[in-house]
Amino acid sequence: MIDLSAYTDNPDINLSPGAASDTLVLSMGPQHPSTHGVLRVMLKLDGETVVEAEPELGFLHTGIEKQAENLFWQQAVTVVDRADYLAPLSNSLCYVLAAERLLGIDDVPKRAQVLRVIFAELTRIASHLVWLGTHAIDLGAMSNFFYAFEMRERILRIMEFVTGARMHQSWFRIGGVALDVPKGFLALLDEFIAAFPPRLADLRAILEGNVIMMDRLVGVGKIEAADAIAWGLTGPSLRATGVAYDVRKAFPYSGYDEYDFDVPTHDGGDCYSRFLVRVREMHEAWRIIKQARERFPGGPVTIDDRKIVSPPKTEIQHSMEALIHHFKLVSSGFNVPEGHIYSCVESPRGELGMYVTSAGGNKPWRVRWRPPSFYNLQALKRLAQGNLIADVVAIIGSLDPVFGEVDR
Amino acid sequence: MPDKVHPHPDRVTTAALMPALEIAAGEGLLEAASLDDMDEAAILPGALHAAVETLLSFGFTHLLDIGGTDHLPLTPRFEVSYHFAAIDPKRRDPKAPVSRFRLRVFPQDQDPVVPSLTKYWPSANWAEREVYDLFGVRFDGHPDLKRILMPDDWEGHPLRKDYPLRGTRRNFVPGGRVGPIPPTRD
Repeated sequence: MIDLSAYTDNPDINLSPGAASDTLVLSMGPQHPSTHGVLRVMLKLDGETVVEAEPELGFLHTGIEKQAENLFWQQAVTVVDRADYLAPLSNSLCYVLAAERLLGIDDVPKRAQVLRVIFAELTRIASHLVWLGTHAIDLGAMSNFFYAFEMRERILRIMEFVTGARMHQSWFRIGGVALDVPKGFLALLDEFIAAFPPRLADLRAILEGNVIMMDRLVGVGKIEAADAIAWGLTGPSLRATGVAYDVRKAFPYSGYDEYDFDVPTHDGGDCYSRFLVRVREMHEAWRIIKQARERFPGGPVTIDDRKIVSPPKTEIQHSMEALIHHFKLVSSGFNVPEGHIYSCVESPRGELGMYVTSAGGNKPWRVRWRPPSFYNLQALKRLAQGNLIADVVAIIGSLDPVFGEVDR
Repeated sequence: MPDKVHPHPDRVTTAALMPALEIAAGEGLLEAASLDDMDEAAILPGALHAAVETLLSFGFTHLLDIGGTDHLPLTPRFEVSYHFAAIDPKRRDPKAPVSRFRLRVFPQDQDPVVPSLTKYWPSANWAEREVYDLFGVRFDGHPDLKRILMPDDWEGHPLRKDYPLRGTRRNFVPGGRVGPIPPTRD
């Protein structure tokens, strides 16, 4: 070892061999671009190796759970949407299913169910495309971002055309969906169904097996199946350890049991496996959308219960009774019977659960999230250990956390 | 065609589980119920570890979630809910049934304390910190019980029902301010 003591005359700096502390604490974030939001990770480093990684959260805490308690059941859909801002419709689907179950509604029309499936899967593809683009940027591949976002833009255009909003659609409602789809929706959807597979093939051709991707991802952030379960991983992060657990298959909702699709898994348990699982999931989501498009049934899009769903506008203009129903729903909502229920859906990030308690009133007493990102991100402590500091970026990217959901 | 939210999951495991849980929890078992979504048991904090060990021996390897609820003005006021799932690390068939179970733990109203599950699941760490942060329920045996979502110097626990929706009013003071302002109701 070289003696550096001659290089300084400051008595406070001791450069003699062995004098310096072996570990360095580095604060990464909360404004670091590759933390995909506002995450701060306290890294304890030995050289370039991570000894300990302690994520710090709460920078995006907006009290969504508290707000949901102070809105009518139907109104709360709007704040529920805002948790996972890359897949807002998954959130509202979970909440809506919980509320319907508490109300005892089990006759949501087929058309509404198919629309829910189409939009949930479109959301999944859109969310995975954001992940793919940004993950690739983190690893140094710029152009994929544009290819992915161009495709996401098509999905957002469909969303905007149907719901009027690009991001927080709040389109799923207790008892169905907000409105029927406008004319021209199916043409737009067909266009997307035709355009997506070649684009996905392009993205896969660029990234899958790419030597830089392999170098950066294979063997990085490895976790075994039993460990992944103990750390509470769900979704693609769990399936990348070989565990075929998907809420859509294990606890089917909205008619998912009638669709033919696979649950991609991979045995590697590393960042590359998570990458492969998500990329294949996009293809499966596309398959579901295609099947839903083929069976697209007619009929109403909401249940026929005026105590829960507002009558159509045309009726309100002519019927006094319809106007009273509308007025009651807007001014005081509806009551939900006392009880509690755990409802879950497969969001793009994993099992999104909501433990909803009703005290019998017109507002939810408590909406407890089970945010998949929260638990997946917690495993960063375990995944980053022993990896290089540059790999932390790849690991965070491969977990795909969304901080609206982590911090709520 | 009804919108099937969750068909009844496989309850074979949970059916055998209930008697074992009754023995393990003893006096601590308040109530057991079979609900639409899953089976559940309401217990006192003292019986939590015994109940969890029974659950583990029945293959409930996955701690799904820990959440809090404030039932004010009811007593007991606080509920800490635990959701468990039996997921096999060797699971290869996505359609295989998954058993689920819920424990509802009711600590005492004044200074609520619940034993920590961090020694069984590393994933309990943050979830317990969140319940502590938002409800003020302490977890006995937690290695690092501090706030997680709210700032470290925050006063009060926002998800309690007696905490106002608008929260505290913090006035901007140039150069910083020491000490919190008490919450004001609007």
